[in-house]
Amino acid sequence: MIGRSRYWMAAATMAVLSVAAGAASIDLGRIFDVGRDLRTAAVGLDEKDEIAVGREVAGRTLGAAPLVPDPELQAYVNRVGRWIAMQTERPDLPWHFGVLDTASVNAFAAPGGYVLITRGLYDMLASESQLAGVLGHEIGHIVQRHHVKVMQQSAAISAGARAAQRGDRGVLVNNLIGTGAEVMARGLDKGSEFEADRIGIVLAARAGYSPYGLVEVLHLLAARSADDSSLALLFKTHPAPGERLTQLGEALAPRVAALPGGLEPAIRPVDPKTPPPAAAKPAAVEGARALQQQEEGGTTIPSGGSLLPGGGGGVLRGIFGR
Amino acid sequence: MPRHMIARNRALRVFRLLLAAAWLAGGSAAAQQQQVTLERDSPLYAEPRLDATQVTQLKLGATGEVIGKQGAWLNLKTAGGAGWLFSFNVRFQSQPVAAGDSGAGSAAGRLFGPRRSVSVTSTIGIRGIEEEDLKQASFNPEQMKLLDGYVATKEAAERGARASGLAPVSVEYMDAKQ
Repeated sequence: MIGRSRYWMAAATMAVLSVAAGAASIDLGRIFDVGRDLRTAAVGLDEKDEIAVGREVAGRTLGAAPLVPDPELQAYVNRVGRWIAMQTERPDLPWHFGVLDTASVNAFAAPGGYVLITRGLYDMLASESQLAGVLGHEIGHIVQRHHVKVMQQSAAISAGARAAQRGDRGVLVNNLIGTGAEVMARGLDKGSEFEADRIGIVLAARAGYSPYGLVEVLHLLAARSADDSSLALLFKTHPAPGERLTQLGEALAPRVAALPGGLEPAIRPVDPKTPPPAAAKPAAVEGARALQQQEEGGTTIPSGGSLLPGGGGGVLRGIFGR
Repeated sequence: MPRHMIARNRALRVFRLLLAAAWLAGGSAAAQQQQVTLERDSPLYAEPRLDATQVTQLKLGATGEVIGKQGAWLNLKTAGGAGWLFSFNVRFQSQPVAAGDSGAGSAAGRLFGPRRSVSVTSTIGIRGIEEEDLKQASFNPEQMKLLDGYVATKEAAERGARASGLAPVSVEYMDAKQ
């Protein structure tokens, strides 16, 4: 009896996952205009595509960690972020900012104007100028289309694979992003990160903040233990904070006297009534695998379908590998 | 004076002495943790400017105690004298901390970290999102709707900036090493 109910639980899980996979394919299929040659789309993502890809990636990240349940905080971060984004050449992108309810220390940029900062990092910040520096770095990636460029490069590499799947647009698009992510999993090049740091400094200064907020955050990060698990992903995907400080110092030295002093307004803290973030749940796939293992030898589990919705993980790793 | 009063006064005096000793010990521990180490040979200036008079030339690995900050500069007390050092040329001593420690107690944390007590999160070692979680995440439409709802208009952003006294400044982008 118990074995049987387990079977149904497993079957139901599989059904839900396949539906999710189907939905993901359809959404991704809409990203590109039907009928446009995919090679064109891959090589020259226009701004509309860029926004659609970024939205998909941001939505998936919110599937990994929800927003901090503090609407005032979220609105505040959006005002600060938008103010900084207005100092760039792309002020009219659909800029979205969010604080993710996770203890990890990180910040993410997805194409088209989506910026997410974790609560673990937000709680380390002492001033709005430090927040401005962090958001400015992420905004820099988006303004410079760093992730889009990497996607385009990897799409060009895998043109052969795409040609083989021309019949199914959904799969094709999925693989375009997925394959691109395979390449991006190696991360943005260091040059892009150093560039985003320099842009972050300049954008904070343009917005009227002290230009050195990001520098202070890098000092804070550099002083954190390298084996601190909450920084594992950040340290894996970025040059070491010390190296970033060195690069910034060399770029800034000739400019330091000319840079405005700027302001260091107080930062709005997370509402103290907000409960701490829940521990990240073990990923669904692991759960399904565990179920499958439990059932092995007894009951047959429907198989063959991908548990991962459309290889989306690859996109996340690729774009958010940074 | 009654004997019990004398005893109480004596006890109070001892207590004050202990308090002072504890304060001193705490103070010196804090000073020790405000230490930075030179990442490369760098001049120590009399003022926070690259064209100011040099107090001394500090060598890679030299240490100093941070007594203040101003923009890109740290005010340092070193064996060779006090002065200003370009902050990019030092590293704060990192403390071996427990996993998930926010680092708020480190030297960098005391200088650059929040003064408020934070709700955190990262101090209590909760498992955060990791690469695997991101790889396996699927689109969350409810959270996306929330995110859409928080978007700020340009006007709202400008109002917020003005309320904080911020005004736009013209600053050129910078190249890598000039």
